[in-house]
Amino acid sequence: MNRMPEQRLRISNLHCRVAGNEILKGIDLTVEPGQVAALMGPNGSGKSTLAFSLTGHPQYEVTGNVELDGEDLLALSPDKRARAGLFLSFQYPAAIPGVKVANFLHAARQAERPGDFPPAKFRALLLEKMEQLGMDPSFMGRYLNDGFSGGEKKRLEMLQLAVLAPKYAIMDETDSGLDIDALKDVGDSIAALRASDEGRNTGFLLITHYPRILQYVTPDVVHVMIDGRIVKTGGHDLAHRIEREGYDKIREETGASTPLGAGAVV
Amino acid sequence: MPLSSALKPGPALSGVKGHELYERLAAFGGAPLDADARTRALDRFFSLRSGREKPGHFWRIDFESIVPDARAIEVDAAEVTVESSDPAVVVCDIATATREHPQLLARAFGTTGIGASKFGALAEAFAARGVFVYVPADHACDEPIVIRYHAPAGAAIFPWNVVLAERGARVTIVERLTAGTGAFICGATEVVSAEHADVTYAVLQQADDGARVISNRVARPGRDARFAWSLAELGGELAAGDLRVSIEEPGADVHVTALFFPRASQHVDLVSTVDHRAGKATSETLVKSAAMERGQARFLGNIRIAPHAQGSDARLRDDALLLSPTAHVDSVPALEIGANDVKAYHGATVGAIDAEQIFYMESRGIERAAAERMIALGFSEPAVERFPSSSLRDEIRAALAVRLS
Repeated sequence: MNRMPEQRLRISNLHCRVAGNEILKGIDLTVEPGQVAALMGPNGSGKSTLAFSLTGHPQYEVTGNVELDGEDLLALSPDKRARAGLFLSFQYPAAIPGVKVANFLHAARQAERPGDFPPAKFRALLLEKMEQLGMDPSFMGRYLNDGFSGGEKKRLEMLQLAVLAPKYAIMDETDSGLDIDALKDVGDSIAALRASDEGRNTGFLLITHYPRILQYVTPDVVHVMIDGRIVKTGGHDLAHRIEREGYDKIREETGASTPLGAGAVV
Repeated sequence: MPLSSALKPGPALSGVKGHELYERLAAFGGAPLDADARTRALDRFFSLRSGREKPGHFWRIDFESIVPDARAIEVDAAEVTVESSDPAVVVCDIATATREHPQLLARAFGTTGIGASKFGALAEAFAARGVFVYVPADHACDEPIVIRYHAPAGAAIFPWNVVLAERGARVTIVERLTAGTGAFICGATEVVSAEHADVTYAVLQQADDGARVISNRVARPGRDARFAWSLAELGGELAAGDLRVSIEEPGADVHVTALFFPRASQHVDLVSTVDHRAGKATSETLVKSAAMERGQARFLGNIRIAPHAQGSDARLRDDALLLSPTAHVDSVPALEIGANDVKAYHGATVGAIDAEQIFYMESRGIERAAAERMIALGFSEPAVERFPSSSLRDEIRAALAVRLS
């Protein structure tokens, strides 16, 4: 009898090089279904590199092991990783002129869940999700991220999250550049997905520099990444500590190396 | 490459007079041109240069050597059908117009200088089948007039269309060109409009991959008139187009749109020219192209503003997408500005699809090939949107999708 595959996103000893520089130096991290794992760290610590390594960006040389519900993720092309249930909310999503939001989302939903939505029914779903996110229906006819403000781009990422209802969602600095109201909206949309039938078991990897988003989304576990390594793991209180003390104290405690240039002796 | 080079005499072609093409002229009657005019036109075809020199060694077409097979030329070879439901508009074949509406025809036919170019002269020499459209003053045609030409496999046809729109008239014409393998089309269209007229002329060329299609189109809009060319060159092993607007009256509002997606071993060679010869007119030229496999294209976009054409506003935007390493697109915008109080803008890009766009779509589960197809279709969308009627736009989108698959 086959063993049931493990239901989690398990990252083991993940290394990543970009243009010859080692950015990730052995990451071990697990995202459980239905839970929120926060990944915090100062700028340049490798958080976004982890997001791109998991989703298969072509410029990243990745070694190690990543299993999504037992499937070898690193062996898959980026589109197959998405179809396996992985989603990335981009910090800087690409603009694609001439491709309408509705057509793109329909193509994505069809690719990830073939045959489950005829266009008319999909349109209804889209309108419902857009209303939940407080988005004007005219969004559907706009070109993908083309001429969108920063806030609109984030909102479109949230809409995609809602429509695709992935097994695992990596939110890459979704909170950056947002005001408090928009931040609350991001929190609400994550909560809405978790409350839905489709998104009940979605596991989140919430990548953030600032702890403030965690006022709206309560993490089950908090990891701190410094210089390409996870240096500390804890509960929600770890985020509060970072809010009070910043990253330097943790850096000292854990013996993580100082940032480039700071106190370097030549 | 300045178009004036097309007017320089070519190398002496001794003995051309005896060429079998001249013998074929005998079969063509006196409408819309008499035998002498046809002979002179053929002389010009043989003596003029095309003005389309090879841009580089990679270019496989030599325009100077293109001569139709005389045996393929029959007066009635072209299959022509016209859809027009508006009784107020005159729509007839050009021979009928020569007999029944000679004065109207004469206001447009042969008034745009098409016959002064090498292939315009060839079209003129064998002009026999064609459509004349006359829209009376202040009359608006609600439905587009659709003109269909088909060149059967192996045939050579020379369609000549003439459109005359009176003051305040409004009309949309859709020309559909199809051709079988080995067919040769060398056609011309002349559009002349009066003040405040609004004319849109769209072309959907979907010849078989083994056909050659050469077209010459010139419009002369009236004062404060709106005029639009929308050209989709989607078929043929060779599609060569000369698309011009001659602005001779002030206040014209001109839109030129072209779309081409060469694939396999197709060549597209398009020259567009907007000639601002009167002031206070605006023109906007938009060209979107994508080349696949060994597809090749050249676009030469001319904007000319004469010294007295003050207050002109001319824009030209040309973007080409290369979808394979063996595809080639040459893009040459050329501005010639003689006046000082004008606005002129041109921009051109040639490049592959942005890798970040592909990755973004892949990250949403869309396969790479499908992502490229969507991005390329999206890329063409600003040009597609400028074609008249949603059904024609959908048809163009579907045709582009087929070409990309």
